[in-house]
Amino acid sequence: MITGMDRLVAAINGGTSDRIPVFCNLLDQGALELGISLQEYYTHGERVAEAQLRLREKYGYDNVWSLFYVGKEAELLGCREIIFAKDGPPNVADFVIKTPADIHRLEVPDDISAQPAFEEELKCLRLLRAAVGGRYPICAYITATMALPALLMGMDKWMELLFMGPAADRDELLAKCHDFFVKEMRAYRQAGADVLVYSNPFGSTDFVPMKFFMERSLPWIEKDITAVGTPGVVYYCGMARFNKVIDIVLKRTGLGVYYLSPLDDLEQGKRIIAGRGLTCGVINDIKLIDWSQAEIRHEVKRMMEAGLPGGRFLFGTGVMPYGIPAENIRTMLEAAYEFGQYEKLEAPCLR
Amino acid sequence: MKLEQLIIAYNEAVFDTDRDKALQVIQAAVNNGVSPEEIVFDVVVPAIEQMIKSISEDMDVNLAQHFMASQIAAEVTDEMVPRFKHSPDIIGRIVIGTAQGDLHSLGKQIVTGCLKARMIEYIDLGVNVPPERFVDEAVAAHAQVIGISAMMVHTARGEDGCLKVRQILEERGLEDQIKIVVGGAPFRFDHDLYKIVQADAWAEDGITAGKVIGELIQEVRR
Repeated sequence: MITGMDRLVAAINGGTSDRIPVFCNLLDQGALELGISLQEYYTHGERVAEAQLRLREKYGYDNVWSLFYVGKEAELLGCREIIFAKDGPPNVADFVIKTPADIHRLEVPDDISAQPAFEEELKCLRLLRAAVGGRYPICAYITATMALPALLMGMDKWMELLFMGPAADRDELLAKCHDFFVKEMRAYRQAGADVLVYSNPFGSTDFVPMKFFMERSLPWIEKDITAVGTPGVVYYCGMARFNKVIDIVLKRTGLGVYYLSPLDDLEQGKRIIAGRGLTCGVINDIKLIDWSQAEIRHEVKRMMEAGLPGGRFLFGTGVMPYGIPAENIRTMLEAAYEFGQYEKLEAPCLR
Repeated sequence: MKLEQLIIAYNEAVFDTDRDKALQVIQAAVNNGVSPEEIVFDVVVPAIEQMIKSISEDMDVNLAQHFMASQIAAEVTDEMVPRFKHSPDIIGRIVIGTAQGDLHSLGKQIVTGCLKARMIEYIDLGVNVPPERFVDEAVAAHAQVIGISAMMVHTARGEDGCLKVRQILEERGLEDQIKIVVGGAPFRFDHDLYKIVQADAWAEDGITAGKVIGELIQEVRR
């Protein structure tokens, strides 16, 4: 039986399988699957693992997630209050950094795996690894050095500090966030995560000017990737576009997987990557809530026509809001399985 | 420095996200006798308009530039207005906040920064604002517009967000007097979402929001 890992490895190596890999990021839907509240769901790693396995089995896509919610990283650095919704992702309600003195006080634990806030994720990872390790890629989400301060102090305060200083506080915070990033990456790898989504809105020219990207973002990206290596690492800018920087990121870091924005021109992204890595086309899943079945199929087909020629292509989703009807998720995935078959391509298209 | 050169120099600094340089340009202009009124209405506001034009032409304009343009505009306006010969005419008023359950305040901060220079008064209700409060505060402040920012799909579409504000306005017969504008990431990914949540308008970014809010105020006052 062909597994998700088989499909992913084939796509990365420019080979073929029955179809391209299809990644579906169902997170909050796990609570729905188990019939419990999001707060109950996210307090137990066993529940998250169980729902991840059930959802993958139910829909047949190729990955599972160890991510609970993005604010978990803030909890690892001392955040004590998360606000839970009944129909959407939990949010950081109490920022760790409220004053400059909090930056000086911020301590990065030596062993992330030993942190109580990591305990449930570790349980989840162990269960996922035992159930599908080596057969279905286990994904982890890791915020880049330059983006992590936004989780610790709020994006507005971080933008103020980043662009207006004081430089010493900014640099101290970035150094600590880099230290955390490296340790967190190590912890996830040791726990069995295969696909490490490196999330960095500051790596997108929707977020920062190209000049800033070259002078400030890119050096931190290089530092991050140099410290942890490229295996399994996926470049992702939190749904923001980054076609304009793919070439330079690829040349400077050697990263081989690019998880585009739904707003990026997919064909252009594929052309820029030019067989040097895996292009991940991401559907605009915010529209999945309202799209008709025909619209969903049409969009998936359009994306496949743009991304599939030449192989080295993965179909993925973005934030997958809780409110997407289950039948729309199924329609999208079935269309991806249908239109994502390599045999739909002319043989010479594949290298 | 002529006014045209001043605008160019200020704009360059703003587009470079260089606050110190932008403020230096303004200070040099003040030292050379450019009036506070000219600084706001002939330099700061045209710079915002230029950024809106660049956005509409799909040029390389990004969130950091929006943020810096708005923060610098607010800073300069705050400093210049007390020096005006006459108090400026306020064109209207908005109450603004993030939807209930939403704690993301960056978009709102960008919007309010730009409103100052446009002489639109705002009452910032903060984050996680209940729908009833949006309406109560708008009525109390005689605001023409309610601005609701939402960064997440469930807060943009949820029953305690814009939909509820619309329902309350309808129940109280206030729809002709108070318009609703929405903004935030989900609206950028679905340009029809503002209709689904029954807002009167949406803005793609914080800079453009000032223009949209100004137009809604004019609509109410017509």
